[in-house]
Amino acid sequence: MEHWSPTSITDTGTQPHSVAARLARDPKVVCAGGFILFLILLAIGAPLIAPKDPLAQNLLMTTVPPVGFADAEPGFLLGTDGLGRDVLSRVIFGSRVSLTVAFVAAGLACLIGSLLGLMAGFLGNVVDALISRLVDVWMAFPPVLLSILLVALLGTGLHSVIAAIVVIDWTRFCRVVRTETMGQAQMDYVVAARTIGFSRPSILFREIFPNVVPVLIALLTLEMGIAVVVEAILSFVGLSVSSDTPTWGGMIAEGRQIVHEAWWVLAAPLAALFATVVAFNQIGDGLARSLDPVLRR
Amino acid sequence: MFNVTRRQAFAASGGLLATLLAPQRFALAAAGNTLNIAYNLPLPSFDPDVGPSSVNPTIQAMYRSIFDQYIGQKPNLAFEPGLLTAWGWNDDKTKVWMDVRENVVWHDGTPFTPEDVIWSIQREAKPDGGNPVSFIWAGIDSFKVDGKRITADVKQYDPVIFKWMAFLTGYVLPKAYFEKVGPQGFEKAPIGTGPYMVDAYEGNAYLRLKANPKYWGGKPAFETVVFKFVPDATSRVAEIESGSSDITLEVPYEEYDRLKGKAGLQGVCTPISDIAQIFITNGGVMDDKNVRLAMCHAVDKEAIVKRLLRGYGVPIATLEAPEYAAFDPSIKVAYDPALAAKLLAASGYSKEKPVKFTIQTTRGFKPKDYETVQAIVGMWRNVGIEANIEIYEIAKHFELRMTHKLAPAAFYNWGNAIGDPTTSTGFAMFSKSPHSAWHSDDLDAKIGPLWGEKDEAKRIQGWKDVDRYIAEQGYILPLLQYAQPILYKSDLKVIPNISGALQPASLVSKA
Amino acid sequence: MLLAIVVNRLAMALVTLAGVAVVVFVLLRVVPGDPVAMMISPGAGPADIAALKAHYGLDAPLLTQFWIWIKGVVTGDFGISITLHVYVTEVLASRLPATIELAVLALIVAVILGGGIAVAGTLMRRTVGEAAIDGLNSILLAVPDFIWALALVLIFAVALPVLPLTGRIDPALAQGFATKFYLAESIITFRFAVAGNIASHMAMPTLALALPLAAVIVRLLKQSLKEAMVQDYVLLARIKGFRELHLVLQEALRNAVGPTLALTGVQFTFLIGGTVIVERIFAYPGIGNLAIDAVINRDFPLIQGLVLLFGLIFILINIGVDLTVATLNPRLRHA
Repeated sequence: MEHWSPTSITDTGTQPHSVAARLARDPKVVCAGGFILFLILLAIGAPLIAPKDPLAQNLLMTTVPPVGFADAEPGFLLGTDGLGRDVLSRVIFGSRVSLTVAFVAAGLACLIGSLLGLMAGFLGNVVDALISRLVDVWMAFPPVLLSILLVALLGTGLHSVIAAIVVIDWTRFCRVVRTETMGQAQMDYVVAARTIGFSRPSILFREIFPNVVPVLIALLTLEMGIAVVVEAILSFVGLSVSSDTPTWGGMIAEGRQIVHEAWWVLAAPLAALFATVVAFNQIGDGLARSLDPVLRR
Repeated sequence: MFNVTRRQAFAASGGLLATLLAPQRFALAAAGNTLNIAYNLPLPSFDPDVGPSSVNPTIQAMYRSIFDQYIGQKPNLAFEPGLLTAWGWNDDKTKVWMDVRENVVWHDGTPFTPEDVIWSIQREAKPDGGNPVSFIWAGIDSFKVDGKRITADVKQYDPVIFKWMAFLTGYVLPKAYFEKVGPQGFEKAPIGTGPYMVDAYEGNAYLRLKANPKYWGGKPAFETVVFKFVPDATSRVAEIESGSSDITLEVPYEEYDRLKGKAGLQGVCTPISDIAQIFITNGGVMDDKNVRLAMCHAVDKEAIVKRLLRGYGVPIATLEAPEYAAFDPSIKVAYDPALAAKLLAASGYSKEKPVKFTIQTTRGFKPKDYETVQAIVGMWRNVGIEANIEIYEIAKHFELRMTHKLAPAAFYNWGNAIGDPTTSTGFAMFSKSPHSAWHSDDLDAKIGPLWGEKDEAKRIQGWKDVDRYIAEQGYILPLLQYAQPILYKSDLKVIPNISGALQPASLVSKA
Repeated sequence: MLLAIVVNRLAMALVTLAGVAVVVFVLLRVVPGDPVAMMISPGAGPADIAALKAHYGLDAPLLTQFWIWIKGVVTGDFGISITLHVYVTEVLASRLPATIELAVLALIVAVILGGGIAVAGTLMRRTVGEAAIDGLNSILLAVPDFIWALALVLIFAVALPVLPLTGRIDPALAQGFATKFYLAESIITFRFAVAGNIASHMAMPTLALALPLAAVIVRLLKQSLKEAMVQDYVLLARIKGFRELHLVLQEALRNAVGPTLALTGVQFTFLIGGTVIVERIFAYPGIGNLAIDAVINRDFPLIQGLVLLFGLIFILINIGVDLTVATLNPRLRHA
């Protein structure tokens, strides 16, 4: 006999295994998931997979076109950029920065935001008032200005990019989680649990949180897509990672200047950025679809 | 409520649509009487003597259209009369005299007088007035006027004082008008004595000028000049390519090469008084002369100019460009990576055990600045120097430089429109200047006496000797002199200005 | 009551703005680089630097500087811009209308486009059409505004030179305007040729801003609409014999629009604060362009004024959205 708990009575089938099964049957999600996995492998194995050193310059072989076009050089599949560096290798290494930013920045924003949101939604009163006030003040800042100022303060670098994304986007998670939590806190099963005598933290983490998790995960995957784009924007403005490390945003900014002479320098990282964000969005969409009982019809 | 009939609504939307879709003809510039310039920097303020915009070399093109300087400058950097027709020192170099031009009127019709000259200098001399070089102007006082001649006392001899009158913040403003309307009033409706008058101005959008028919130098070629402020380089390229603008500058060299031969367009790209260099800050590993000289010898400046800048640029060995007064072609720093490796080995460094330091650079501020530093870091890596690139923006660079906290190596540029060694080598290398990164007593001892040197030939030779000493010690790494790409419609004639200021009045005309 | 909501929100607004003011003030003085360092030139000695700092009021202790500034703000004096030499309030007042027109136009285009596609998608649900729309939308969601800007410049500069690339209006036509709301004023005064010129200048920046917003609207509205379409009241109307389009527009939309409206409101504030890059690329003279230059030059009074202004706009728009949602949904009026 399964352990009796309020959730097993009232939940509408959000056990993990059936969600995963549902997702596995959705072709778009499978493709997207596969692509992200492929990207992760690429990022981890970049030093072994990339054909050339992404930093190796060759001033005699600048802006060589990709293989298949006239004047191409064998070995430089996607051509070279303005300093003679291999575009393909730089795109592969660029995935490291983008994925790091996606997972770490989105993850941290999610963590901080959800914690505060849970507290605000469940504890109510003074705590809720304080946190909501904080969110209001925070969101009243124009995001682009705030990120520029932040990077000026922290100096350029991966840590600043992550900090900028976390600092700006945690409020998104906070608000959503707060609303969800408040909604869940009023449901019968929670009232029942309180009557029976479960302690507040235990209710929060064992009853409410699992029901908030699905929405959270959907939001998290979307946030990853956003984080990748924000890094590209910051690179475009010149405020991203400062060292030689190739980033997709940086390559886009460089490629834009010479788009008429060497369109591949812009096209390659753009396509990679694009595919990554679309993949994250598809996973997020798939999750939203599979978790929403109404839309499953 | 007004009633709009169906027909009116149709007509209106038709008109809207038609204007929306009317194709932009690639109109030739000389056909009309308006010159459209797609400019790379906006004009923050109309006051040419005060505040941060007053020391920006590129904005001078706009200031020189509206205002006149005490002393003018030709496009080859030679000086010519401006609002002063003649000037000089007395015999024992304690007084200066200036002859003021006659029959000049301000844009509002009031006459220009020597009072305006005196008032302008005194205003710029106030230490709390916001003039960034007030100490230069404060050196002249006790003015006396006799007809068109002004005489004044000089606290100490400054060989460069008259050159400053053709340089940054050396503009004459109207005393009576300015005192009447105040600084904010002046911003809203500025007047000068220059070839153009301000017709309309929208911040960050455009500056429309109309010709001054009473200009003492003759009426300019174009009746109307519009400076369009387009800070994004790719957008400027699009402007000239689509014909929306008649002339533009500072486009990427690749785009310049692509467009200069296009039908209807022409280009000119010649060196200007702006150089790129790597500041070396004393302390740490930089105190080792072998490291510094290795840094200098390992850089292939020719390759950087030819490959990164498409051949547009001139490698330099000192802070003096070929057009400057104290340029000495006999000073050379050879590209010799083998020598660099040897020097490093003498200090115990090698490719396996490189010397490490940080190099700071801007990104996108000057053409290919970041790429240049990346290329240099690559060249250094080959001889045993491992430099870590740190990107900063201009504000941080200035702050660090002012507080002497720059990284061991820092990339930056240096403009010097008057070509005098005091304003390049002097201010960049003298430790008491807030703009120098290398502070050492030996260099100060050599530079110190040159500030007040009365013999001009001796002064110039002294600066050449200082430059040679700096090159031998490796106290700074000069890289190259920039060239300024200008693209324009083929029915225009453009004379490039070595100072980099694209002044429409004197430099652009119909072909 | 609606009034209670407004009063409540305004009170909160003051607290929020106060918080914003403190944060930006402190942040600016902590960030490296100050405006004096940007303007000192060759040969300036420590005395000159000190004099310049005094001239701009940067030498007093932090608390004194803050007090001086706040006293001014409360009386409507935001100080004088260090780079522009004019009152901050004047600069902001002269640039804000341009950005507002751009943001509003982008919002209108996004709502029409997004709303239309969402309705179409709902009508075509569970067909191939919907799958196509979903696919297209997920691609559109991934494209940020500056990429749109880039694509638009390439198309309209090089391929089809039909639209002007930069600026807001042809300088020859910018005469005789009483306000800075050029587009609105020219339409109201029947100067349609001028309005057309302005609209042609705004076409590309508007599109660059509207397309990402439209994608967000499509996704959210379509979801809400589909949820609403399976409710009982829609089933009732269907039995009564109403056509599908009527069902979507009249029944479902009214109830589904709430969350989309709230989100659109939030996105609109991001739009006002987020036009920075698009304004830069198209040289559009709004507050975005102003903000970039202000930050680069560390123009403290101007940055402070800008941040407060953005904060105020954000709060006002939020209040507006809350009011609109409450009006449409009576149940929320007592929240």
